Amino acid sequence: MPAHARTLRQLLYALIGMPLGLAGLAYTAYVVAGGALLSLTVVGLPVLSAGLRGARLLGGLHRALARRLLGVATTAPPPPRGGAGLTGWVRAGLTDRAAWRAVVYLILKAPIAVLSMAVVIVGYGYGFGALTYPAWWRLIPSQADAVGVLRAGLPLPGGVYLDTWPRAILTAGIGAVLLLLAPLALRAVLTLDRMLVTDLLDARRLDERVRELEASRNFAVQESAAALRRIERDLHDGAQARLVALAMNLGAAKEHLEQSGGDPQTRELVGTAHRDAKAALVELRDLVRGIHPPILDSGLDAALATLAARSPVAVDLTVTIARRPSPAVETIAYFCIAELLTNVAKHSGAPRAVVGVEQNDGRLRLRVADQGRGGAQARGGLAGLTDRVRTVDGRLDIDSPVGGPTVVTVELPCPS
Amino acid sequence: MRVVIAEDTALLRDGLTHILTSRGHTVAAAVADAAELLVAVAEHQPDVVIADVRMPPTHTDEGVRAAIAIRRDHPETGVLVFSQYIETRYAADLLAGGAQKVGYLLKDRVADVSDFIDALTRVAAGETVLDPEVVTQMFAASRQSGHVAELTPRERDVLALMAEGRSNTAIAEQLVLAYGSVEKHITSIFTKLGLPSSGNDHRRVLAVLHYLQR
Repeated sequence: MPAHARTLRQLLYALIGMPLGLAGLAYTAYVVAGGALLSLTVVGLPVLSAGLRGARLLGGLHRALARRLLGVATTAPPPPRGGAGLTGWVRAGLTDRAAWRAVVYLILKAPIAVLSMAVVIVGYGYGFGALTYPAWWRLIPSQADAVGVLRAGLPLPGGVYLDTWPRAILTAGIGAVLLLLAPLALRAVLTLDRMLVTDLLDARRLDERVRELEASRNFAVQESAAALRRIERDLHDGAQARLVALAMNLGAAKEHLEQSGGDPQTRELVGTAHRDAKAALVELRDLVRGIHPPILDSGLDAALATLAARSPVAVDLTVTIARRPSPAVETIAYFCIAELLTNVAKHSGAPRAVVGVEQNDGRLRLRVADQGRGGAQARGGLAGLTDRVRTVDGRLDIDSPVGGPTVVTVELPCPS
Repeated sequence: MRVVIAEDTALLRDGLTHILTSRGHTVAAAVADAAELLVAVAEHQPDVVIADVRMPPTHTDEGVRAAIAIRRDHPETGVLVFSQYIETRYAADLLAGGAQKVGYLLKDRVADVSDFIDALTRVAAGETVLDPEVVTQMFAASRQSGHVAELTPRERDVLALMAEGRSNTAIAEQLVLAYGSVEKHITSIFTKLGLPSSGNDHRRVLAVLHYLQR
């Protein structure tokens, strides 16, 4: 930003900040302090809660101004987390730290607004007046000084009159200096404001940062599940469909060559290409199943039915889900059970596994049990699963004494 | 044979149409979604329908649901469902309405063109054609079922081929058995699965359905 544009913005910020700062102080005094006093009565707390929400909005206004005009990069604090009903609303408002910090800002902003206005008036107002003094000092009506002599120009304290050209030009010089110093002074005052905005109005405080991270992590988890789905869909409509068509045409060509008794070398080449195309289809299908099994779109129970049927160990599967979890949770649940069944097949020595999926208290509980040799530890694949489960604040517990049985339980949050 | 094709990928739809037409079959309609499929079936009354599982709008199980509706409303029309994946749930849904005039194959199977058209013909003629993959999954699903667990490995092989819609002769060839021993195995399967001895060919279908009833 060019220097003069920055100065103009700072000037604008100070000009807007003055009335806004005083209004903020008045608001705080009347609504918040009033609400706090009223809180001795039954209406007080709701009033205070509403007042705090208002303070939060005013804080937002200041934050927006600081961002637009001062370039202070801040993040709006996430909205207060409310319980249900009026009580929840009131409580959420009262315990909203961001709102209380906004109140502190509104109180501290008022003197800073006055100070920056003073800098504007002295630096720019007086500076401009003084600079142009030679142009207008002659127009000032003469007035009598302390000893009754008529003097032109403006008086300074101590009976000095700016009534000669050298003095007028000196005044203009001082005006020029004031105008030059004004932006620096304003910037210094606004640095204070800037610090307050960062400290009091920005979300980057630990608790809010945690919530922000929770929200962004949740977004990332959901987004990655959605991205995998898109990849699967694209492969299905694109590469897989093309390969099927290719294999079909190669099959038709192969049969045609066989019937027409074509050149043996061509027949062999076409035969090989046909086999390769079919093998590629199988490989691609296994790969895509590992990315996102499309049956998951029809629900976890349908997907687990196929998973159980394809498992090398016999699976006794019970799924009780009343309300579908988010796609990300479904995906994690699916791959957890897939991995756990693979473990049963590879390590337990048990011929069968019991898989249970149930949903209650806003949690999805997975349980994979076998009567095998036990001794499973949270290493390798299981450690990877634990990490994956933790991305949605879930937990994985392993109970696997040497000699068995092994029971692995996974709990995933799925708010209802 | 008059065929209606429902497949949302134009490349495959056109390829199938071309191959069927070049082998003397009539493609009465080739459509891109389940709603159009139902309309086309009502209009053309085809011998057999080829339906993709995933079609617009949701790309999940439109084809299976349309197939079930066609089997209910047009019992004279055979339905061959095909898909990139074989899902146990869909197989069960599809066969719940009886196991005649129905097929469920992986899309890969169109690569062996004559076999695929043969399967289609058999579905149109009233038989059941299940992908080996379906059979594998059904076996796994029925490992808990007491009845199927009683079968010997050889009897399971025979049952698997029956599920694929093979004739006794074809089963004998495939397993390198005498025709007579295939018959013996089949009788033994029927007995172990508790199927009535006064049956007919429909018992084969019931045997297949046993996979699905855990």
